[in-house]
Amino acid sequence: MRALLALLLVACAAGVAAADEPEGNTPDWLKALRVRGRLAEEFAYRLHDPGDESKIKSLGWLEGKYTFSEAANLRVATRGYYDTVFEATDRYPDNVRRNQEKELELREAILSVSHGDLDVRLGRQQIVWGEAISTFVTDVVNPKDFREFILPDFTELRVPIWALDAQWRLARNVTLEAVWTPDTMHNRLPKKGAEFQFQTVEYRFRNPVVRLPDDEDEFSLGRSEGGVRLSVLREGWDVSLIYYDQADKTPVLFQRQVANTPPRPYQIALDPQHPRLHVVGATLAKSFEPVVLRGEIAVSVGKRYETSNPLDADGVVRRDTIDYLIGVDFPLLWDVDAALQLSQKILTGDATNLTKPGVQGQVTSSVALRLTTGFFDNTLNPSVLFVIGLERADFRMSPRLEWVVSGSVTMAVGADIFEGDRRTLYGQFDKNDRVTLTTTWRF
Amino acid sequence: MFSVWGAPLRRLAAVAAVVLACAAPAVADEAADIVRDADRFRRPAESFVWHITITSQEARKSPSVDGFEVFVKGSGRSLVKFVAPPRNVGRSLLALGRDLWIYLPDAGKPVRIPFSQRLVGQVANGDVARADYSGDYEVKLLGEETVDGAACHVLDLKAKTKDVTYAAVKYWVSKDGRRPVRAEFYAATGTLLKTGTFEGFKEVVPGHVLATRLTLVDGIRKDKRSVLDYGSIVVRDIPEKYFDKNAMKSLD
Repeated sequence: MRALLALLLVACAAGVAAADEPEGNTPDWLKALRVRGRLAEEFAYRLHDPGDESKIKSLGWLEGKYTFSEAANLRVATRGYYDTVFEATDRYPDNVRRNQEKELELREAILSVSHGDLDVRLGRQQIVWGEAISTFVTDVVNPKDFREFILPDFTELRVPIWALDAQWRLARNVTLEAVWTPDTMHNRLPKKGAEFQFQTVEYRFRNPVVRLPDDEDEFSLGRSEGGVRLSVLREGWDVSLIYYDQADKTPVLFQRQVANTPPRPYQIALDPQHPRLHVVGATLAKSFEPVVLRGEIAVSVGKRYETSNPLDADGVVRRDTIDYLIGVDFPLLWDVDAALQLSQKILTGDATNLTKPGVQGQVTSSVALRLTTGFFDNTLNPSVLFVIGLERADFRMSPRLEWVVSGSVTMAVGADIFEGDRRTLYGQFDKNDRVTLTTTWRF
Repeated sequence: MFSVWGAPLRRLAAVAAVVLACAAPAVADEAADIVRDADRFRRPAESFVWHITITSQEARKSPSVDGFEVFVKGSGRSLVKFVAPPRNVGRSLLALGRDLWIYLPDAGKPVRIPFSQRLVGQVANGDVARADYSGDYEVKLLGEETVDGAACHVLDLKAKTKDVTYAAVKYWVSKDGRRPVRAEFYAATGTLLKTGTFEGFKEVVPGHVLATRLTLVDGIRKDKRSVLDYGSIVVRDIPEKYFDKNAMKSLD
């Protein structure tokens, strides 16, 4: 963390020095270098059971871009944070502290090269597919960091991977993109005892259970992932087709019996595996001024789910899964912008014994409504996001008020309220309602 | 009496109808020519980069200043990069004809948005991303008026499709030199949204005079205004990747 702060100070000093330099005296190499970043302080207070601080996080981002020419540039970005909450409270176990207290990560290291209609991006990066905001239906390339559920910005949720991303403009408004990565990193899930630990499948074993470590190699040429996307814009219809071959980024717990020393009964071993998925999907967007229509669909072929059925041999069943959403953005009165979105997860088969947060049956539906507006020339910006699960009426409501203090500084107060049965997506965090305060300084 | 004059009047009416029918396209063509000529004061070349500063003010509050770098190529293709203040840096708008996307660093991907959505202050996305009135609107010549001492054509612009920033524009163009002078922008309901005044005509590019200032005032609250100052221009060929939504992230 000290190293990061030192780096930030050096960058600030360099930025100020560059600004002080008369335009004519700035050397060419410095003109080609752009440095920017931000510092943020995020505070969250858990409202009940028990009421306590749940986040006192200091974060820093630093990004540099060096432009060699119109056709080539190099971009490097880092992020570091330290969460003082682990010193302020002893509510979280050591494994959570080790996992979430501090981090210094390379977020981007991308060499971009263009030649004619071909653009190539090589390095550690986020590759984002999809049209809708706040969902992951076709946003399938990067693994996600769910240690704070899905509450952070999505660029913070995505875990960058080392990849080759090539885009080829076949014709005007027709682009073919190909992605390949040997970086088969998994989703980052919260440890047991963490603030946003997920509910797990409720097994009913009589025998002792041992959970094996998820030690599958996360960098493998043999298990590399890749896919293609074809994007077309015609008559205002923005359509893309995708195919991606990947390992399931969330582990699936396969069961097997392990012999024990008699007379002790055999053990049940829960073996986390990452089965192969073939994701086929499409996205569309179209503006019918002033309304914007969006849609996404993804079919995950080979998707597997854990079952609590004791008669199932390996405790896992295959259910190819269709995820889709359809949404509209439209203006309301008084300069309020609204976004309404319906999404569904459909399992191709019976969902008995598969129930867990996020899967409420063969069909799991949710509706999201986001309202945003601005006052005083958009220096005071209230917004609210409301998402409700239609099967069990679990919901999340996140009101937020952002104050633009200056061109560089913003402050935001907000809340994340969860309600519902604890076996539902939002209800599992029913006791984790929180209020938040975030201050950000950009340079 | 009527029997005497009836036939000649009918003939006269028929002749007038033919003359008007022939003249109407000519008037429409002239109106379109006027708007096309006025558009040239808002775009200096086929491919160029323009720096724009927008100063927005509301009542007695201190003004806010936003900076943009606008890349334009051909008709209806532009990329608008947000360059100031720091909280907006990294954002960009891409307009391809009547389709518009915004790239937000927090989302990490381009997102489709409408042209009429507010950019900053009184400025809509389309005010910065499109400057092609002759392509977007059906034009009719209404008459002549004097604005600030200048004799002007008054034109009625009706949107060709719903996919443009304004449903209608009343447009004043000077008779001398066909410079844009003033505009009133209307919603489909007929509500006056804002008025615009074009000023600061300078030879920014050799041989090409441009309007370097557009002042937009709210249609109802006259104390809400935004001033668009068009600064330095570089006329150059811009690579195609600047107009590909899939490349917006890498252009940040």
